[in-house]
Amino acid sequence: MIRRILLAALATTILMAGAARAAETVVWWDFLGGGDGIRMKKLIEDFNAEHAGKIQIQGTTLDWGVPFYSKVQTSTAIGQGPDVMTYHASRLPLGVSQGVLSEITDADMKAMGLSADSFNKTTWDAVHVDGKQYAVPFDTHPIVLYYNKDKLAAAGLIGADGLPSGLNGADNFLAALQKLKAGGSKWGISTVTADGSFAYRTIYSLLCQQDGQTGGDGNWFPGDNQAKLAKAVDTIASWVKAGVNPPNSDYPTTVALFTSGDAPLMINGVWEVTTMSDLAAKHKLFNWGAIELPVLFNHPCTYEDSHTLAIPNNAGKAQSPEKHAAALEVIKWLENHALFWATAGHIPANKAVTDSAEYKAMQPQATYAVAATHGIFDPRSKLAGVASPMFDAAGNSFTPALNGETSAKDAAAEMVSTMNALK
Amino acid sequence: MLKNSATERLAAVALVAPFVIIYCWMFVYPTVRMAQLSLTDAPLIGAGHWTGLDNYRRLFSDKVFWTAVWNTSYFVLLTVVPGTAAALGIALMVSRLSGWLQSLILTMFFLPYVLPVTVVYLIWQWLGNVQFGVLQFIVVPFVGHPVNMWRTIPWFMPWVALITIWWTNGFSILLFLAGLRNIPSEIYEAAVLDGATRRQIFTRVTWPLIWPVTVLCLTIQLILQLKIFDQVYLFALGGRTAATMVLVQYIYEQAFQRNAGGYAATIAVALFVIVVGFSVLQYQVLRMRGAR
Repeated sequence: MIRRILLAALATTILMAGAARAAETVVWWDFLGGGDGIRMKKLIEDFNAEHAGKIQIQGTTLDWGVPFYSKVQTSTAIGQGPDVMTYHASRLPLGVSQGVLSEITDADMKAMGLSADSFNKTTWDAVHVDGKQYAVPFDTHPIVLYYNKDKLAAAGLIGADGLPSGLNGADNFLAALQKLKAGGSKWGISTVTADGSFAYRTIYSLLCQQDGQTGGDGNWFPGDNQAKLAKAVDTIASWVKAGVNPPNSDYPTTVALFTSGDAPLMINGVWEVTTMSDLAAKHKLFNWGAIELPVLFNHPCTYEDSHTLAIPNNAGKAQSPEKHAAALEVIKWLENHALFWATAGHIPANKAVTDSAEYKAMQPQATYAVAATHGIFDPRSKLAGVASPMFDAAGNSFTPALNGETSAKDAAAEMVSTMNALK
Repeated sequence: MLKNSATERLAAVALVAPFVIIYCWMFVYPTVRMAQLSLTDAPLIGAGHWTGLDNYRRLFSDKVFWTAVWNTSYFVLLTVVPGTAAALGIALMVSRLSGWLQSLILTMFFLPYVLPVTVVYLIWQWLGNVQFGVLQFIVVPFVGHPVNMWRTIPWFMPWVALITIWWTNGFSILLFLAGLRNIPSEIYEAAVLDGATRRQIFTRVTWPLIWPVTVLCLTIQLILQLKIFDQVYLFALGGRTAATMVLVQYIYEQAFQRNAGGYAATIAVALFVIVVGFSVLQYQVLRMRGAR
């Protein structure tokens, strides 16, 4: 009897060991700590359930920004990096120069059933450095204008289609903000003014709306672009000066002013959609929505970035064909299940998802999804991108100007000289 | 028993060796490598090209570096002596209490010390929030409008210094309290019998006898505060970092954000020189005071 139990136990152990060996483990790192992180964990769980015994994702969430990218850089240098990771498209030029990323080949794309046609052209271009592809776009995440429908309706700023109207044009927009304030709101709009590197996203959008362009090393804002940059900074500064946008407002305060109803408008990333939808689900929020940034100047244009999926270039430890196939399967599966990712606010990069009827019924996502077609990514430089020297330069130059401590002209001049001095 | 001096020497070497080996491996070797690195244009990872003294030339004309030197020194000035003085004052008051009340008060002063820096950051961020913070009720009557302490440059260092003293003072208080308990009560009794006033008792008895602890506190504080990084980094995040920069933060920024390992090493060498300079200076000053 005992012998039989022992034998059975032995057999089970061998079987389990066999099963464990058969399942390929894919080590996954991301930097998604907010509401989107919770949704990514759910996606990973679903993937693991569906691939039980075949592929298992072992996920770790690290700190967003410089800590994440430092960790990726140092660990891949000694072959201890993950098998798949999230990466900002705007950081790819720097990542490639650091030798952190593996190329994604045409064969890889074919294996995943994806091609250039699966994505928007701007997004597709954003994952290429010097003509080579280094990542697969998973989403695009522009900044958008959140609105409090009740307050806008009271001020007569909701059109016949139920969406905000009468916000286009810089002067018109300021007038609308003043109207909202006159109507009894504490502020007209809430934008981050204590952090110039965050406000950079809006400033960059407004620069683009004026047909402004960025140059590159040594000549970052050629010609009249410095003046356009100053005008973009001055636009936000004028809201603060007019008393319709809180001065020195940090990120959490900005969100709190909107959700508490003190500010009927807010400019922020689509990642805050989860905050709103979670509050709304608990019936703790007014009627809300989000739209593409209004056209304050010549044409619609919005800053955006993309969470991409990339395979690191682990030094001295090339991915085995099995591991590589598993990594590609992970990316493929996520791309095909990006509809759930859209609940986190991000616009799925895979057009097959955004073209689906389910996505088109999703609100407010489907309303602001148009922003992705008017999107502009960070300049393609290793000095630009999230948490880059350019973000720092923006923090230093723009923060005092937004709050009226220096002029927008001086801020633009400082930004230009700081950027041009960088190597 | 007679001992052979050669075997004695051998034993000495064997006993000292573990320390010397680890010290050379973990401290001397990296320090030498750092100095070497500062003469190259190396990225964060991997080798660079020899550039001679280029990094040092760049350092001396780097405005942000000098801002960082000034801010670090200013911070040391704002924290080391005031912080130690506050700790002594609190320790003197706490030592007059006894029993559970003393333990309770001491715990209250020590509590902030166990908090991680992120918690300290969040607490003060909330307290000082320009829209909702309770501290604004104190600020507004004096200034006339709410102030974002972390974005108004003249307010930045003093506030970070104040918070740092609040945060780290518990340890110094504990050291002082231990020092005060070590002063024999007979000396105080004798002083009282001789008709000494409270003031005289402090200046003639307590102060000279507590001096070694004061020196210890000052030294620990000086070395700690010269290495200031986390508070300044967190409170300045996204703001005007070039104006609030401190030295360790600048090393971090150059190494991890700008991928400039060589230049970061150069700043680290400069910080090393500054720490040595400050320490020698302080040692001399304190020795003069002690010899008097």
